[in-house]
Amino acid sequence: MPKLRHIAIAAEDPEKMAEFYKEAFDFKEVGRPNGALADGVFLSDGTLNMAILKFKTDQLGKGLDYRGIHHFGVLVEDVGEFSKRLEGLGAEYYIDRNQQEPNAGYFEKKFYGPERVLFDIAEHPWAGCEPLPAEIKEAAE
Amino acid sequence: MAKLRHIAIAAKDPDAMADFYVKAFDFKMVRSNDGPLAYGHHLSDGTIDLAILRFKTDQLGKGLDYTGLHHFGILVEDVDQAAKRLEGLGGKHYMDQDGERVGGFEVKFYGPEGVLFDVAEHPWTGTEPLPLEKAEAAE
Repeated sequence: MPKLRHIAIAAEDPEKMAEFYKEAFDFKEVGRPNGALADGVFLSDGTLNMAILKFKTDQLGKGLDYRGIHHFGVLVEDVGEFSKRLEGLGAEYYIDRNQQEPNAGYFEKKFYGPERVLFDIAEHPWAGCEPLPAEIKEAAE
Repeated sequence: MAKLRHIAIAAKDPDAMADFYVKAFDFKMVRSNDGPLAYGHHLSDGTIDLAILRFKTDQLGKGLDYTGLHHFGILVEDVDQAAKRLEGLGGKHYMDQDGERVGGFEVKFYGPEGVLFDVAEHPWTGTEPLPLEKAEAAE
């Protein structure tokens, strides 16, 4: 089954916000993304990647001054297969992030689901997040 | 370590949105509720609770017509201890949810920049509990 493995927060001051969650919950810093879409800090609780980001483009249509939880990410086995499924369900493809972007570290595709809720799908785990559990078939091998 | 175990989305139509995520990612619908704060559905990927809710109060100050990601929740060992730590760091207590509430006691806080989150010591329905601590695991 796909797994929720990423949550992104839009922040004015990602460093300060990241410090808060590190001190509050002992989350570990696992990266400092600096890309075309956003800069910020990656934290991990050992299972999920929590990205605290200052966005550079208005992905949500809520304005660049939007603050709050921005999107989530689902780890899947096969991005191509899930892209087809999502489009069949009416999701709107938004953008690919690929290896050409420095520090991306993984391939992901962004979609808008119902009510324009933005989410990513990726088949390579985000920094500091758990991979998908081994499938029964693989585990039996 | 505390664990992120809950993500809540504000939706106009929680039924349709929940159906989408069930079909898209095979998430399981584990609970539906209609409480004083919200109506909606809880999905689970086996680890995390994804709550898709139509809120009845404006918890974010963005208006009741706000749709999108709303808050997250963190499972902790001890809510009182976490609450003290959060207040010491400048987190602002918003409300306690207790009484007859399904899913157990939780406390809502605003963190930096007004980001809302819950802390709870009872796992949300369908989510993984905290991993055993080393001391317990050694027993």
